Amino acid sequence: MKLFSSDTRKPVTILSAVFSILIIAAASSIALAQQKVSRRFPAGKNVRFELKNIAGTITVETWQRDEIRVTATMDNRKATFNPRQTETGLVIDIVGDNRGRGDVGDMNFKIELPARSSVDLETRSGQINVSNVQGDLVRAHIWTSGDIQLLGVNASRVFASNTSGDIFFDGEFASGGTYEFKSGRGTITLQLPASCGFHLVATAPVKKISMGPFWDDSKMKLMGEGRRITGDVGDGRASVTVTNYQGDIKFVRR
Amino acid sequence: MNCDNYQILLSDLVDGALTAEDCSRVELHLTSCPDCADARNDLRVIVDFCHEQRGQYDSVPNERAMWLRISNLIEAENSSPLQAPREAGWWFRLMNRSWQLSFPQLAGLVSAIVLVVAMATAFSVYHLSPTASPQLAAFVPAPGGSTIEDRYRQQQQMISYWNQRVELNKARWNPQMRETFDRNMSVIDAAVTDSMKQLSQNPHDSVSEDILNDALSDKVALLKEFSDL
Repeated sequence: MKLFSSDTRKPVTILSAVFSILIIAAASSIALAQQKVSRRFPAGKNVRFELKNIAGTITVETWQRDEIRVTATMDNRKATFNPRQTETGLVIDIVGDNRGRGDVGDMNFKIELPARSSVDLETRSGQINVSNVQGDLVRAHIWTSGDIQLLGVNASRVFASNTSGDIFFDGEFASGGTYEFKSGRGTITLQLPASCGFHLVATAPVKKISMGPFWDDSKMKLMGEGRRITGDVGDGRASVTVTNYQGDIKFVRR
Repeated sequence: MNCDNYQILLSDLVDGALTAEDCSRVELHLTSCPDCADARNDLRVIVDFCHEQRGQYDSVPNERAMWLRISNLIEAENSSPLQAPREAGWWFRLMNRSWQLSFPQLAGLVSAIVLVVAMATAFSVYHLSPTASPQLAAFVPAPGGSTIEDRYRQQQQMISYWNQRVELNKARWNPQMRETFDRNMSVIDAAVTDSMKQLSQNPHDSVSEDILNDALSDKVALLKEFSDL
């Protein structure tokens, strides 16, 4: 007995072939719609890099060369970016460059720059990842949602803030430096070496502040029924302010 | 030349200081211009009078002594207190009184003014404020001088303004952006609500006060940022 006649099998084969072609066409159109641009700019050792993005992931890494390489992947072909070299470094303002163009989709940036650079990063939504930057300033600000990860950062001024999303800092606090971390909802985790010293004002009105091994009865005090902790850790020479409206604050030893 | 120019020359004409040519030209004009002729006649009368009375207005015998007397008289008038006429009103007397105060008097006066101004300000803040929110009425004055209630009201005005601008543009955003914005705004609103609730229970709660200020500032900043999107 013949289970399938040749007449039945033929349309199935044709149908599957059409589907395959459609899938391939859709995938290739997405790939074609994405635009990848890479540019290099000469830079000194203490360069300042500024990026104001709309949406997407920003990744900053360091390298040994005295130049900045910007690699941008844009979802939308009508999106544009015009890096502007200044006396102090490089400025990319995606918000300004694309004003009036409507929805330009996500723009993902990978930035490679000298280690002793200052970075000032801002986006309306998306992730920000910074690794091994050791310049004067590291600023990462997400207006709405997105995680911030600062790894191996040794800068004298660090500012990280978002409205929802986690903030993770792994680095050191320089003596006399200023460090501010602020989130609306999400966990703020600060991973620090045991030897670091700072004056702390940590406020989490709804959830918990966990000082871990950095708690010192003699130098720190709880305020507002434990919603705020103030005091010194070690020599207390750096100034650290951590605020989380509706999330946890955690201190972890490296 | 017009009459003005001729009248300038009249003084020299009367004094006989003009050249013959100018003299004949001015005289010719005077024959045809009665106004200038009258001016010449008046001037001549004055000059003649002065010539006739010469010698009678020599300087006084002791001119310096006379000026000293005048000077003394002026100083004497200035130093004597102004006597108000009997029929003068209280305002005239008040304004013409000499206001030389000793240091304790001055200090007392300044203290009294400060006290009155402070009382008036406190009275107007606590009793005359028409938009005082009952929920925030118990809040203590903030260290900066203004109350939290004042700052909250100011921030609410700004929030309302920027909110209107955001709402105008929101239709152009993609659905994902709208959802992200609303979700994050609700996070900030929750922080505002929580701290307001805490403050209504404990008006001296500095932690809630700081969070409220921070959250309101964040809300304004977020609205501003998204208002031109």
